[in-house]
Amino acid sequence: MHLLAVVLAAVLLAACGVVPRDPEGTLDRVRSGTLRAGISQHEPWTRLEAGQPSGVEVRLVERFAQELGATVQWTDGSEAELVAAMEVRELDLLVAGLTADTPWQTKVAITRGYATTRVVVAVPADQPVPADIAGLRVAVEDGTEAAGLLEEKTDAVAVRVPDVTRVRDSAVAVDEWLVDLLGLKDTGVHLHKAEHVMATPLGENAFLTRLERFLIAHQGEVPALLDAEARAP
Amino acid sequence: MTQERDHRELPPDKHRLLVKAVRLEWFSIGYLLTAIVLLYLTLGSSQAMKAAWVEDILGLLPPAAFLIAARVRRRSPNERFPYGYHRVTSVAFLSASMALLALGVFILYDSVSKLARFEHPPIDLVKPIGDDPVWLGWLMLAALAYSAVPQVVLGRLKQPLARELHDKVLFADAEMNRADWMTAGAAMLGVVGIGFGLWWADAVAASVISVNIVHDGYKNLRVALGDLMDKEPTVVDHSRADPLPKRIEHELRALPWVRDAEVRLREEGHVFIGEAFVVPTDDEDLVGRLDRANQQLRKLDWRLHELVIAPVPEIARPEPAGGGAGDQARP
Repeated sequence: MHLLAVVLAAVLLAACGVVPRDPEGTLDRVRSGTLRAGISQHEPWTRLEAGQPSGVEVRLVERFAQELGATVQWTDGSEAELVAAMEVRELDLLVAGLTADTPWQTKVAITRGYATTRVVVAVPADQPVPADIAGLRVAVEDGTEAAGLLEEKTDAVAVRVPDVTRVRDSAVAVDEWLVDLLGLKDTGVHLHKAEHVMATPLGENAFLTRLERFLIAHQGEVPALLDAEARAP
Repeated sequence: MTQERDHRELPPDKHRLLVKAVRLEWFSIGYLLTAIVLLYLTLGSSQAMKAAWVEDILGLLPPAAFLIAARVRRRSPNERFPYGYHRVTSVAFLSASMALLALGVFILYDSVSKLARFEHPPIDLVKPIGDDPVWLGWLMLAALAYSAVPQVVLGRLKQPLARELHDKVLFADAEMNRADWMTAGAAMLGVVGIGFGLWWADAVAASVISVNIVHDGYKNLRVALGDLMDKEPTVVDHSRADPLPKRIEHELRALPWVRDAEVRLREEGHVFIGEAFVVPTDDEDLVGRLDRANQQLRKLDWRLHELVIAPVPEIARPEPAGGGAGDQARP
């Protein structure tokens, strides 16, 4: 009986190493080969400058490919195009600043969230933090989800501007990672929260879990990468 | 015409078994709720997990039906419900089996269409405790094991009680418990299949499970409809007709003043209610004779809850089954 338990435990441990496997062998193919990555612009996560990809997720994908000894072959397009390509397994990985609530998740597999971002209401660091934002004039980028949320969910007065990073001496609704950079401080009012994810083909579980292990190991570097992106000209 | 009305349904020894069954069913519900939560937390995108989860949720129906029925059926008859509340058990049974059938069909459709679309189920990592990520598949297997093993034991405990109490809802529940370990086993094979890169294993396992659920539902629905149609009483596992009506008929025919007798019984929940028609040789002390016969017959079996004995001039027997849906004329 004890022997049986030991054998069972050994089998389980061995299985932990090889399970799960990919039905289509993505991980094995990518290792020491080519990682076919799709990119759709969504700054600061993904950016295309003269066809050259950059951004937080691009940096992460390059590091991941390096770990696997693979070279990245980038394909750019709209999310819909890239998802369609991924469904027929023409792409192994998709980065587009996707969040965990993406509607694509019945067509592609999404990873665990590797970064959480918030849109916060912040005030200049030298001003006192108001107890309540009711009636407060808050600058917010026109045509964004944050603008709508500020309008509907709070009692603040939304002042729509083309670019919040240029606003001075006013409360603003900005991405959390810009707060320090712009000399602001968080009022504690958070408009929305997003879990950032990447996407892989459905069912390629070895590849998916390998990517997730990489993201878990490197998620601590995301704030620094975001900061670097924000400081970039 | 004699009538005896006694609405304490169960003799004392059976009552003790009922108390035990009620306790077992409450325990089942509590356990199933924990299994349902556990499976929900590890559901992921596995089709087989979803099927096993749904079956566990449906597994709540028979115990719930049993417990509700155990409360309601004891109520005495009143003017609005002159026949009492025994049949609440059949109603509970009918609704439970309808739910079973409908959900089985739904999961079957869902799984087969996923199989047809070649959908590969993704299962990723989770961090249940601390910083070590674990493949969700392992947690699924653990949750499925938890939802399988106690069911086997519960099923084995319930089945003899169901036989003793002649309770079909309890029997159906015990059957479902026994079938559930197979469900969990099939789901485990599906998850292990995904682990080894066999994307289809999951949907195939889910289809097998759903066929099993459909089968359960269909079987129980037939029995429930039969009961509501006043089909001849059967033994608790529905394998054959209950011998009680024939026994009563023999007992009646054996009485010296009875020339011919015919008995029809129906199942109301777990008791039998019905009529006996007798052709007396003469009218002497007819009321007294009928009354004594009734008392004697009621001692035959505790399940014989109410028997109306009616004297008639002659007996027209019903046609044998399969002789078409013709009128089964009765005196």
